Amino acid sequence: MLKKMSYSSFPEDVLEHVFSFVQSDKDRNSISLVCKSWYEIERWCRKRIFVGNCYAVSPRRVITRFPEVRSVGLKGKPHFADFNLVPEGWGGYVYPWIAEMASGYPFLEEIRLKRMVVSDESLELIPKSFKNFKVLVLSSCEGFSTQGLAAIAANCRNLRELDLRERSEVSLSALERLLGRCPNLRTLRLNRAVPLDKLANLLRQAPQLVELGTGAYSAELRTEIFSNLAGAFSGCKELKSLSGFWDVVPAYLPAVYSVCTGLTSLNLSYATIQCPDLIKLLKLCPNLQRLWVLDYIEDSGLEALAASCKDLQELRVFPSEPFGVEQNVSLTEQGLVSVSEGCPKLESVLYFCRRMSNDALVTIARNRPNMTRFRLCIIEPRTPDYLTDQPLDVGFGAIVEHCKDLRRLSLSGLLTDRVFEYIGTYAKKLEMLSVAFAGESDLGLHHVLSGCDSLRKLEIRDCPFGDKALLANAAKLETMRSLWMSSCSVSFEACKLLGQKMPRLNVEVIDESGPPDSRPENLPVEKLYIYRTVAGPRFDMPGFVWNMDEDSALRLS
Amino acid sequence: MIHMELQLGLALPSTAVKGFDLNAYVYEPRENMGSHPSFHSFGFTNDICSNYKKRNFDEAFEKDKTVPRTLPLLHWNNEPNDEDDPKDLENNSSFDSNKTAEEDVVVGWPPIKTWRKKIWHQDQGRQAKPKNNQAVKNIGFGSRSAQSKSNSMYVKVKMEGMAIARKIDLSLHDSFETLTTTLISMFCVWHDDSNNYKLTYQDKEGDWLIAQDVPWRTFIRTVQRLKLLKISE
Repeated sequence: MLKKMSYSSFPEDVLEHVFSFVQSDKDRNSISLVCKSWYEIERWCRKRIFVGNCYAVSPRRVITRFPEVRSVGLKGKPHFADFNLVPEGWGGYVYPWIAEMASGYPFLEEIRLKRMVVSDESLELIPKSFKNFKVLVLSSCEGFSTQGLAAIAANCRNLRELDLRERSEVSLSALERLLGRCPNLRTLRLNRAVPLDKLANLLRQAPQLVELGTGAYSAELRTEIFSNLAGAFSGCKELKSLSGFWDVVPAYLPAVYSVCTGLTSLNLSYATIQCPDLIKLLKLCPNLQRLWVLDYIEDSGLEALAASCKDLQELRVFPSEPFGVEQNVSLTEQGLVSVSEGCPKLESVLYFCRRMSNDALVTIARNRPNMTRFRLCIIEPRTPDYLTDQPLDVGFGAIVEHCKDLRRLSLSGLLTDRVFEYIGTYAKKLEMLSVAFAGESDLGLHHVLSGCDSLRKLEIRDCPFGDKALLANAAKLETMRSLWMSSCSVSFEACKLLGQKMPRLNVEVIDESGPPDSRPENLPVEKLYIYRTVAGPRFDMPGFVWNMDEDSALRLS
Repeated sequence: MIHMELQLGLALPSTAVKGFDLNAYVYEPRENMGSHPSFHSFGFTNDICSNYKKRNFDEAFEKDKTVPRTLPLLHWNNEPNDEDDPKDLENNSSFDSNKTAEEDVVVGWPPIKTWRKKIWHQDQGRQAKPKNNQAVKNIGFGSRSAQSKSNSMYVKVKMEGMAIARKIDLSLHDSFETLTTTLISMFCVWHDDSNNYKLTYQDKEGDWLIAQDVPWRTFIRTVQRLKLLKISE
């Protein structure tokens, strides 16, 4: 019946109206596959696009397909760039995109960038090109200075959100100017350079803020500074998210107590607050959904969290001394077990610790089958179960078996190929997997590539995975966004073969020590980044990146 | 050189149609892993480059149904790593390089964002600062006026009977009284018991001294680390 029905009999604007309720990109993609007329209608009313790899498609192609876009999200470098594994100058430049969009999207309102190189020139182009620009988010981006930001501040009058995560220096005067000009600003994250005694004034200028990142949160202890600050905070009735607290002086924490009940998100991952002060603060935040914190919270703090924050969905615990050999705090697997027991909505975890057991992982998996993101980093590579001295295969196996909707997983600790068999068997919805110092043979990688049906991003370092698993699953790579492999055992020959046979993949070998074919035979390539693309080889490759397309492979061999 | 059995018959995907359609590559579901005979034959061991395992793997793989039906560039045959000598691999692995320096033992491990690492280094730098006389003087006068972010002064604290050491920022304190109170609560000791501990510190010469025996200013100028000792009855 349905098949015979003619969709085109609907008036276009009715369909357009219906489509406008469909928010998810995935669903919009499905809509556009129904028939030619749906494809047409959908593409003209798509307001928001996300491109997970700026080299997967050309900006021109995107603009032609979706002419009415208002919001663009772009990602550049591979995720491992966060950990310094991608050499400087690799690429990920936003300028070509902004330049194309300047003519293609005059009504653009939002740009959200991640891991991209953003020059001042590109920033200056934004207010010139987009008259109604509202949101700029630069997450893990580099390449710009205060000059570029000043251009945004001076000219974007409708700015609602300016998020400069992880930036070092912005001048205070530029900030104050920006606040004065942007009565709609909802999110403001300051950095360490902004002193606490300036915060109260900034807050009084922007009582409408929903998200605030404080700058340095230390000052000499004076009652007038405290009461001024506490007063400014109590005026911010909309605050839902707090972060920052650089160099925190605990005595000033009570200044935020008045906004605590409204908070849903608290990022204390730069704040060296000890356990007792943390517990006091957390008890005042019953509606907390997201907590990022240093391991100073310790097991006892996490227990308190489990008791008081029943809405908690996301927990990240970062190490205060990532390179220390000795454990400096009392944070173990037990803290995570407590939270998994006490917080029924917990679904996203990033947890750095120094010991783990299969038992604990099994308990966590049973407690929280609703987990969708589970990233565990046991700091010392290849650490076995501290109770049994066994690999942690069974524990991670339980995670993938019980958490049916798991989308993201990071492995650590001592792991054999067996864990990858569990993952390939159970993790059918897994989209991103990070692996380090794990596995024993190609079989491990083969299990993952052949078993994880939904896998989009796979990143692997220091694992004995090589040509066989990679080539046997070449077609799988075309279904994924990207694969990163460094310090593994993939040969240059295999890279060449992949690049030649799979024209829709860009196979890029990264080697800073020279052309990969000049390496001694059988020495595996240093770094390999493979991604699918409809744009062909990129044109901005630096000297240490080699694309294994047919031509360059010929040139090299 | 690796030798490959290229499946020459492989047609490259009719990409125009299939594109990135995941469904095109759905592989047959496997039998329940637990009951799979091959699974048990793995007999995993901690020895990563065990040749013995390869044989197990071979046996296992013959029965395995996981071989993708679509487009392998290399036929997945019986020998998983026949050309890769795992021992070579071990040598290449950066993990095995010397673990002397506190960081960059392995680049990018633990996986902490570069900017977070920078912060960590800044903090480390600050900890070293008190050796600089200026900073110590400022703290020494017991006033917090000079205390700013760059004057933090972290030292390690141990408590007798506790396995795990902590760190404390001395610049936030101006007397033994507040310091001891903070330490006691940090280690979650009941205040009734707090009198049962005495604060000792190690000075620059490496000698352990009782903290209250010296003036606060002397203490703050020379302290390297702290220890809370139980007073024996």
